[in-house]
Amino acid sequence: MLLNTAIKSLALRQSGGAAARQLSQQVSCRGHCACTPIAPATTLRLALDSPRASVVIPNSKQNAFSTAATTVATDRPAMHKVPSKDPGETSGKEGSTPFVPTPERKYKFFRNVEVTPAGVAVIRFDNPEKKVNTLSFALMREAQTMWESEVHANAAVRSVVFTSAKESGFIAGADIFDISSVEDKSSLVPVIEEALQFFLRMKSKKVPMVAAINGPALGGGLEWALWCDYRICTDSSSTKLGLPEVKLGLLPGFGGTQNLPALVGVQGGMDMMLTGKDIRPAKAKKMGLVDLVVAPQSLESVALSTAEGLANGTIQKSKPKKKSLMNRLIEDTPPGQYLMWDKVKKMVDKNTGGNYPAPYAIVDCVQYGMTHQYGLDKFKHEREEFAKLAATKESEALIGIFDGMNQMKKHSSSADPIKVKKVAVMGAGLMGAGIAQVSAEKGYEVLLKDRDDVSLGRGISLMNDNWEKKHSRGRMTKYQYNLNTSRVTPLSDLTESWKRHFQSADLVIEAVFESLELKRKIIQQVESVTLDHCVFATNTSAIPIADIAAPGDEVKRPENIVGMHYFSPVPSMPLLEIIPHSGTSEEALATAFAVGNKQGKTCVVVKDVPGFYVNRCLGPVLVETCALVKEGVPLENLDKAMKKFGMPVGPISLIDEVGVDVASKVASFLSNADLGKRMGGGDISLMAKMVEKGWLGKKSKQGFFTYTGKKDKSIGSEVKSYLKEFTGGRVSNMSETDVQDRIASRLVNEAAKCLEDGIIENPVVGDIGLVFGIGFAPFKGGPFRYLDAVGITSYVDRMNRFAHELGEQFEPCQLLKDYAASGKKFH
Amino acid sequence: MITSVGQAVARRAAASSSLVDARLSSTLVVPSLAPRQERQHSHRQKPPHQQSSSAFSTNPARKNVVVVDGVRLPFAMTSTIYEDQLAVDLQRLAYQGLITKTALDKGDVDYLIAGTVIQEVRTSNIAREAAINAGFPASIGAHTVAMACISSSVAITSAVEKILCGQASCVIAGGVETFSDVPIRLTRPIRQKLITMPKAMKKGGPLGAFRHLTRGLKMKDISLETPAIANYTTGEVMGVSSDRLSAKFGVSRLEQDEFTVRSHTLAGKAHKDGWYDGEVIPYKGSTEENGIKAESTVESVSKLKPAFVKPHGTHTAANSSFLTDGASASLIMSEERALELGFKPMAYIRDWSFKSCDPFEELLLGPTYCSQEVLSRNNLNLESDIGVFEIHEAFAGQLLSNLVAMNSQSFADENFGGKKVGEVDMSKLNTKGGSLALGHPFGATGSRLVTTAARRLQAENQRFALIAACADGGAGHACILERYDN
Repeated sequence: MLLNTAIKSLALRQSGGAAARQLSQQVSCRGHCACTPIAPATTLRLALDSPRASVVIPNSKQNAFSTAATTVATDRPAMHKVPSKDPGETSGKEGSTPFVPTPERKYKFFRNVEVTPAGVAVIRFDNPEKKVNTLSFALMREAQTMWESEVHANAAVRSVVFTSAKESGFIAGADIFDISSVEDKSSLVPVIEEALQFFLRMKSKKVPMVAAINGPALGGGLEWALWCDYRICTDSSSTKLGLPEVKLGLLPGFGGTQNLPALVGVQGGMDMMLTGKDIRPAKAKKMGLVDLVVAPQSLESVALSTAEGLANGTIQKSKPKKKSLMNRLIEDTPPGQYLMWDKVKKMVDKNTGGNYPAPYAIVDCVQYGMTHQYGLDKFKHEREEFAKLAATKESEALIGIFDGMNQMKKHSSSADPIKVKKVAVMGAGLMGAGIAQVSAEKGYEVLLKDRDDVSLGRGISLMNDNWEKKHSRGRMTKYQYNLNTSRVTPLSDLTESWKRHFQSADLVIEAVFESLELKRKIIQQVESVTLDHCVFATNTSAIPIADIAAPGDEVKRPENIVGMHYFSPVPSMPLLEIIPHSGTSEEALATAFAVGNKQGKTCVVVKDVPGFYVNRCLGPVLVETCALVKEGVPLENLDKAMKKFGMPVGPISLIDEVGVDVASKVASFLSNADLGKRMGGGDISLMAKMVEKGWLGKKSKQGFFTYTGKKDKSIGSEVKSYLKEFTGGRVSNMSETDVQDRIASRLVNEAAKCLEDGIIENPVVGDIGLVFGIGFAPFKGGPFRYLDAVGITSYVDRMNRFAHELGEQFEPCQLLKDYAASGKKFH
Repeated sequence: MITSVGQAVARRAAASSSLVDARLSSTLVVPSLAPRQERQHSHRQKPPHQQSSSAFSTNPARKNVVVVDGVRLPFAMTSTIYEDQLAVDLQRLAYQGLITKTALDKGDVDYLIAGTVIQEVRTSNIAREAAINAGFPASIGAHTVAMACISSSVAITSAVEKILCGQASCVIAGGVETFSDVPIRLTRPIRQKLITMPKAMKKGGPLGAFRHLTRGLKMKDISLETPAIANYTTGEVMGVSSDRLSAKFGVSRLEQDEFTVRSHTLAGKAHKDGWYDGEVIPYKGSTEENGIKAESTVESVSKLKPAFVKPHGTHTAANSSFLTDGASASLIMSEERALELGFKPMAYIRDWSFKSCDPFEELLLGPTYCSQEVLSRNNLNLESDIGVFEIHEAFAGQLLSNLVAMNSQSFADENFGGKKVGEVDMSKLNTKGGSLALGHPFGATGSRLVTTAARRLQAENQRFALIAACADGGAGHACILERYDN
């Protein structure tokens, strides 16, 4: 079943929130701690996970570009670069008409300011062009005009309430397009300075300001609220506060690194800024991030009366939360601080591998602020650091991934997806149970079917155990747990009613054993009981979808059949490959895409070829790993080199985690497929022989490494002698870069070849696929961004050199050669 | 062995000792049935002397209500597999199991009713909480009923009433009980003090509160109250009451033990034969009901000492039903709705009785009175018309006493104007085991009886089933099912 079962290690990494938390607990002093690290993969995943994440990229490209074009480009020449991709889309509709003020609507980004008889000015954010409010430079500029003409000179205004006119939330973050569209990042400094001057100008009016928050207040949105004197948020489930800039390789630049620690303490502030995590209302109140939590229905009235009270002195301005003795010792005494920063830095080192500059910059800004408490230098330092970060390729890469992920949310199709209410999953193994789990969690009714009660029971308990864990960790209420379990209907062949249940299924996903015959039999079975509209998705990693869907006795509705290739374990792997065969209807494809998306997966549509995209790219990596082992490169060196490159685990550990048998199967399957010389150069019998010995990897406690205990692994003497035999005693002390280049070039070349062959539609899909599928160094942004960054020409040269020295398997594909010749870039 | 018990009971009934009759005559106050019967007959407009077997189906004025299906979670000894679950969880799982079994769309349900006895204060309307947590649409109403051991019988008949009234056409009725988490309370004086504590705290601070708490408290108040299986009015423990009933009807220890072993043997066989497949839904992959001791013998159970009346009593831990956790659910619909949704109903629910009796003298004799009422009202003959008996076995002695009473001429003379209820054919009684072996989660047993009886009607091709059960407070229940021909 090929790589199906598991790039577990990646999953572990990527669901590493828990692991990170554990780590932090080990070193933390007490309470919430500053030491909570940012785990790069974690961070990324979180960012990508959250649909309303932080720094917002507009939902559609039209909006983004047009907004920028009209509001920014007009008066700031540096910002008028419109990305060259998809030029057709830049002629946006709404945004291209400039805003014309009317008495009813004097400002573009704000509702008209209302001043109550008691002197409370209510300012409502309201971006007419987007579903959510974002902070753009244009908004900041208009805010200044609005403030001067409506509030600052108005003596009747005794207090101010900032709130949103939108149901979708307060402010979802800064408009990332503003930043990514600036060529010379140092030009950001004056723009941010201008914004900061505006905040200071507001403060200088010396009237109390209240932020009334319902829904997300993230990034710049929260920073705005931090400039206020009082923060009220609702207890709505959509309300969350956070500074997630770190996930995009940036830092909170509107005074966040200074104002947040001052309000909630250094430890709490570092935790928020280094992880970028969302804070829910109850926690926000507890840590002093907000002063009051109210029901959404009473937000406005409470905000108004609070503003009045603050103005007439009946309510006191919020003060930083009183620290406990221990926290005072840690945060306010030199030895405590020394220890704290030491630990913070160690954690950052450990979790970034030195590959992510943003956490270091955040630490630096906070430290700078502590030594320069007075004056405005600390803000100057912050924005300079911000501009520096914005100019890093890491930030560009992370923003690229974020952007790409948002693009993957939409699938342009001529057909609408069918409405799916009920998803049936055939096969209750690890894969099937995982698919059922993510479906039920997102509200689908789920039918989980297997042959007998025993297999079924195993699948159900896999799922329930996962939910049980979530519940016991407080990440799921008992009610949600109950609902999820109730949404899954377990069915076996013995359940007489299974056919009746299937009559109402809209999508059937099979996750049974990899056998063409079995899969076709299942289609026949399913087609005989489901309605005509029901889409059938096959979760295979080895069998061509076209073979499964070939019309015949078993298959009557091939147009409804589509491939959905999940990665195991499904709940923690973020990627889903969707594979139409030539006869798949647009409707079926759109349906698979919509369901995959709702399941929380980032979906990439790829062509029906052996290995599809991700496994196909992994094949040459496995071969090259075997080649390097044969040349005598020590296993640890291989792992270490690739981890340094930015992979979540090295190739040797990867094989162990996935299972040596699985990896061996993938390698031999792809060797016999259409990759030709690109699967050459390595002796994959390395793995096959291990399978014969029963060394199946982590699952059998013995692969390349011997696993003892929970975390310990070492290379045993048996493996050493086996390797000695395999290498013929050769030992190589190949440099780290050579190892990295050899493995990476085979991966990257295969990705480029996939683009050349149209297996993936564009470089964005290629980047997202490998970052999400195998954890390709997120700070490099994916294989294509990586190629752009190192230069395609020099990369081709390097590959040619390898090809010359080592063999034709390194020969760069035609596409790369063409790009190198023409000097084109992928992004 | 089965026949031996049957014969023994039959003999006893026929002989019907004068001692019993004397006691009965002196203590029983049974109102004359005649006027009630008249009233009911006129109300239902039933032809007075119709052939029994066609009494129902030919009446066009009557709306037919059917049992479509039913399930139960494995009944299990208390503090075993469900130790960590709340009652609401068990009921939720039963609902979910019913949906799985029937493939009914949750949105097609009009109402849910659950029976339960020992209440968890957090879930006093347990039907509603279970329904929400099982993912039923929030708009569907649900309520909870309590009538001791026949709580889910009430749930089911309430469902039928709702359907007959036209207020619903598809109702899930069931019940749940767990003894693994009974409310163990502090004594009343401490409770009173704790309830008034905030006031004292306000007035006198922590010291005042402490003084308030300790003032006038006696040593004996520092204790705990655990719920007992006893009647509130009489203060009598059920087992004691049943022991007396058996003595009154002359049911011997041996007969009780033999009947107990019969129940376990039959229950064990039914499970082994797969009879309960589908009816018992798996919990964590298993449908085992761990109270069944299929290997028990009369010798082994006869070794036990009396559990209630010592030393001469006849009731032991073996021949009394044990504390059980479990839940059940039945799908009740109007015939019309069931057919519209494409279901094949199992049985019609024809008529029922909740007649009650004197809790001091014959607390658990309800089945006799109720059976008599429901049979005579419908002109059914127990011996010739009823092909399936499902009678709740609270105690072997209680069940056997009821059988004696039903077939006792003198008892009939005293109470039923001389017309005996009839002799129950042991080969038709609880042939898949009963509460003695399967267990008796108070709130869930009624629904189990209906499901098993309905399934037996289909499997054994019988026309009528009589369900009967006793309950605390002298309450009783009997119900007539008629097979549905698909």
